[in-house]
This record gives sequence, structure tokens and C-alpha cells, in this order.
Amino acid sequence: MMGHVHAVALNTFRETARDRVFYLVAAFGLLLIASSAVLSPLAIGAQGKIVADVGLSALTLFGLLVVVFVGSGMVHKEIDKRTITTVLARPVSRRSYVAGKYCGLVLTLLCMLAVMEVLFVLVSFVTPAELHAGYALAFYFAFLELAVVTAAAVLLSTLVSPLLTAVLTLALFGVGHVSGDLKAFGELAGNQTLRAAMQVVYCVLPNLEFFNIRGAVVHGEPVSGAHVGLASVYAAAWIALLLLLSGAIFARKELK
Amino acid sequence: MSQRQGAGNAGAEVEAGCRIAGLVKSYRTGFWGRRRPAVAGISFTVARATVTGLLGHNGAGKTTTLKAILDLVRPDAGRIEILGRDHHDRRARARVGYLPESPYFHDYLSAAELLDYYGRLCDMPARERPRRALEVLGLVGMAQHARTPLRKFSKGMLQRVGLAQALLHDPDLLVLDEPMSGLDPLGRREVRDLLGELRQRGKTILLSSHIVPDIEALADEVVMLQEGRIAGVHDLRVGAAPTFEVRLDGLPSDRRVADLLAGAPRRAPSGRRDGVCVQVADLPRLRVLLALCADEGIEVLAVQSRHGGLEDAFLRALGVARDPAVGLMSRRAPDATSEASRTAEIVRLEAELSGAGEGGRR
Repeated sequence: MMGHVHAVALNTFRETARDRVFYLVAAFGLLLIASSAVLSPLAIGAQGKIVADVGLSALTLFGLLVVVFVGSGMVHKEIDKRTITTVLARPVSRRSYVAGKYCGLVLTLLCMLAVMEVLFVLVSFVTPAELHAGYALAFYFAFLELAVVTAAAVLLSTLVSPLLTAVLTLALFGVGHVSGDLKAFGELAGNQTLRAAMQVVYCVLPNLEFFNIRGAVVHGEPVSGAHVGLASVYAAAWIALLLLLSGAIFARKELK
Repeated sequence: MSQRQGAGNAGAEVEAGCRIAGLVKSYRTGFWGRRRPAVAGISFTVARATVTGLLGHNGAGKTTTLKAILDLVRPDAGRIEILGRDHHDRRARARVGYLPESPYFHDYLSAAELLDYYGRLCDMPARERPRRALEVLGLVGMAQHARTPLRKFSKGMLQRVGLAQALLHDPDLLVLDEPMSGLDPLGRREVRDLLGELRQRGKTILLSSHIVPDIEALADEVVMLQEGRIAGVHDLRVGAAPTFEVRLDGLPSDRRVADLLAGAPRRAPSGRRDGVCVQVADLPRLRVLLALCADEGIEVLAVQSRHGGLEDAFLRALGVARDPAVGLMSRRAPDATSEASRTAEIVRLEAELSGAGEGGRR
């Protein structure tokens, strides 16, 4: 089974690596990081923080765009073009196929984030931004966050159209970042129904704000080992749950 | 329905290439999701080392049947076995090569990359994959295009690559959906020869087409589908010799004529032509008849060989009768007897399969 996941993942990586959309998004990401070096002199005394904040945000934002543009249509494209039939007519389980697609996209993300991180480090050398180990952690957290969002995109792509998948993935990213606030708002509101609704939203959606350590890193605040461990386990649990659901749904799908 | 089994150990039942019993499949269509039957209870067996054709109009249920075999669509009812295993079993699919109708592949890959990818999915060893990829591309005449991206391929070239990927892992059962589609005459000939060679090597082939000559050229047995049901089964290995239609200006008086024409239809020729038309079953009988006519001075106005093969059988199965006089076709009512025998066949196959399943569990 792992061999099949590996094969599908490598092929997916090759597909995205040869996709123009991927290069376009990557180019914009690199441009944004580079432009932060140009714009930073405008913020006198805080140039380093500007470069770091813009750079780390660009990592997440453009990673998200790759997930939305490439990930949302990935499975659909194979079904529409019927390339999937010759794959699944082989001794490949549908769960392996979904897992392979996911791993391939995550591998693409990892490569893209790594390139952007390298550029970010290079930009830091020519600006007052102060490099420290926290930036590597921020990179890791951004990767975890996008890996969870990718798993959600894969699940949605087994259920709805590519356009709806893209819209819902973006919505999930947005709501995922405010779900903690929504829960707090529900508790403050005093209305039982609203409180229950906010509690449900908080429970059924991943709390993506948990992966946001950009502010702490930019301001040089420490990130505890417990937070790193917990975030890793939290991401792994969500990814496993979302992929299990995707596999179960895709296993029942008709490939007419 | 084919009930032949290949040679095997004494007393042991040899697995069929593919066995389908009571397959039913419908799709939801329209806003209200009404179910439209695509396959309505078909049963047949593909014997090992034979070529079986699925023949039918567009929408007769051929592709759905093939997709159900490969577990790409889920049957509503029925049971499918591939090489002795349930079709859900991935070990069974490991021994199947599949060519979809109008195949389309990942066009960002070259032919060699595509075959390497599929080789991985078939668990082929890394060392073997490049060699085997070139070998099968050579078999379909595409070796010189191994490094060309698939997006630059024509429809016919994609069809050949489709055949190459189906043959890649040297499968025991080949499931080919319209294998001649998109090929030029030379390509059709090459594919026909290739499939013939594969049959000689003991491969089992199940292919679908709506082109009668394609099926006739390749298949040993033909399952004819109409509106999701089996309209008939035709064995091309039996009765394939031509019959003859002879137009005479009278019948010889010799008593042997009755034997020569025994059971054969006799009618007046069509149009304004004179004489009588008789059907003769084979060449020796024709020779005797012509000798008798010569002896008695009866003029032979015309002799026409009639293969009376698959096309006639197909038209008969569909309930379309060819009127020899005017060449028109008319539809007849469904044959209640054949419907009843079909139902009996389904029941028999289902009983056989469930018996085999219980035997396996024991």
C-alpha cells in the first residue's frame, strides 16, 4: 500500500511542479518577500519586524493559494479527464490514491515553502531583520497549518465541485483562524443557542490560530516545546481524521 | 453463454477468466435523481484463453459492464469474479489490463514516464520497469515516441499507448473498451494481429465494440447487448463456413436434390428476376447441385456466397429482420423463449457461484 501512496504522491508532485499556476503563485510569493525589503525603510525603527512579518505571512498566504488553486481541482481533474480509471483499475485502493494525492500536494507545499524560506533568509541578510531559531519554528508551524488545510481541501474535493471546494477551503481557513474568538464570543453572549452554535463551530473546525506564532516570533517571544509538541499532535490528528473521511467517501464514489 | 473451461487438473474446476452473474447497474439522472438502468441483470462467463466480444449499440451497457468488472462503478446487484477471485479483491485486479474507451492520460508525462508510473502501481520491480515499458511500446509501434510528452500525441497514438499500458504488467485478462477506436486501417490491422498473438499466448480477452467487423475479426464468442440485457450469444467458432444462395431457372428432378436442400429455405427471387432461389449449406453440396443442374440442362442464373455470420446473428438478436427482397429491416417482438432461457441461465450461474463460494469457505 505504501508503494502505491508513494507512486501517486510522486506523480502528483510532478504534476504540480509542471503546472504553470504553481510557478505563478510561487513567483508572487517570492516577489512579496523581496518587496518587503524595499518597503521596510518606510517603517523607521521597525524594518526588521516588517520584513519578518510580511515574509512569514507571505509564506502562509501563498501556500494557501497553492492549496486552493491546485488542490481543489486535483481529484476532480483526474475524474473529468478519466485519467483516474487506468489508475484505479490497477491493484490500487482508493484510500491509497487519496493519501497519495494528499502527500503529493503536501510535498509540493513543502518545496515551495522551503524555497520561500531560503529567499526570506537571504532578504534578512540585507535588511535589519534579526534571524533566530524562532523563524524556523514559524516555518514549521506554517507548514503544519497548510498541511491541515490541504487535508480539508482533499476532503471537500471528494464531496463538492472544484469551485465550491476552493470557496469552502478559503472559508475554512478564515473561520479556522477565528474559531477560538467565536467560542469566546458565544460564551460572553449569554444566549444558550448561540453559545452551543459557537461551541459546535469550534469543535468541528480545526483551530488554525493555534498554529499562528508569527507575532511571537517577530517580537522575539519564546515558543514553548509543549506548544510545538501539542501543535504537531493536533495537526496530525486533524490530518488523519480528514484523510480517513476522504478515503471513506472516495471509496464509495462512482467513476462513470 | 460460454460454459467452457480450460484444461486443468483432473477433478478441479479451473477458474474462468471472468464470470458475471445477475449484474444490475443503474445510474441516477436528472434533478430528481431518478434511476436509469444501464445494465439489467446480465450473466455470462469469459472462458480462459479465449476472446469474448461485447457487442451492442451505444448505450447498450458495454462500458458499464466493463467498469463494473474493474470495480470502477458499484453494481446494484450481482456478482463478478475475475480469475477466480471476487472483483473487489485487488489481487484479482493485479492480473487485469484495462484499456478505457477513448483513453486520456496525464499529458504532462512522456509515454515512458506514464508506463513507469503505472509499473509502480502494479508493483513491478524498479529494474524491470524501463525495459518492460520499451518492450510494450515496441509492441504497439510507439518505441520511437517513448520520450515525447503525451500532450503531443494524436488520438490514434494515445490509443496505442493505452494498449501498451494495458499490456505493461503482462496481465492474464485484458479488458479492452473499443480497442480499435481512433486507429487508422493499418493501426486496426496491427492491433488485430497483436490481440490474435496474445490469444495464442493464452491470454483471456474481453473486448467491447459497436463495430461488427472488429468483433467478428477478433472474438471467439460474442455476447450481444441491447438496452442493458443480453440479446443473444454467438459462437463465431461454430458455423462460420459460408452458405450459398443459388438462383436457378428450375429445380432438378433428381431425388438427391431434396437431401441437398434439406431444411434450407426456398423462395422466389426478389424483384423481376425469374427462377427459384435455394440455400445450400456448404461447398460439397453446392458442387453436387451444380453437377445435377448441368446434367439436366438447368441454367444456373447466379451463385452467391453468404457468410451469414455475426451481423445477421446480431440483427436477429436485436429483433431486426433483414428482408432479402428489398434490403429493409423490420423489428420483431421480443422472443419470450429466449427471455425465459436467459432467466434460467442467470439462476443457474448464481447457484453455481454461491455453491463455489460456500465450497471456498469450507
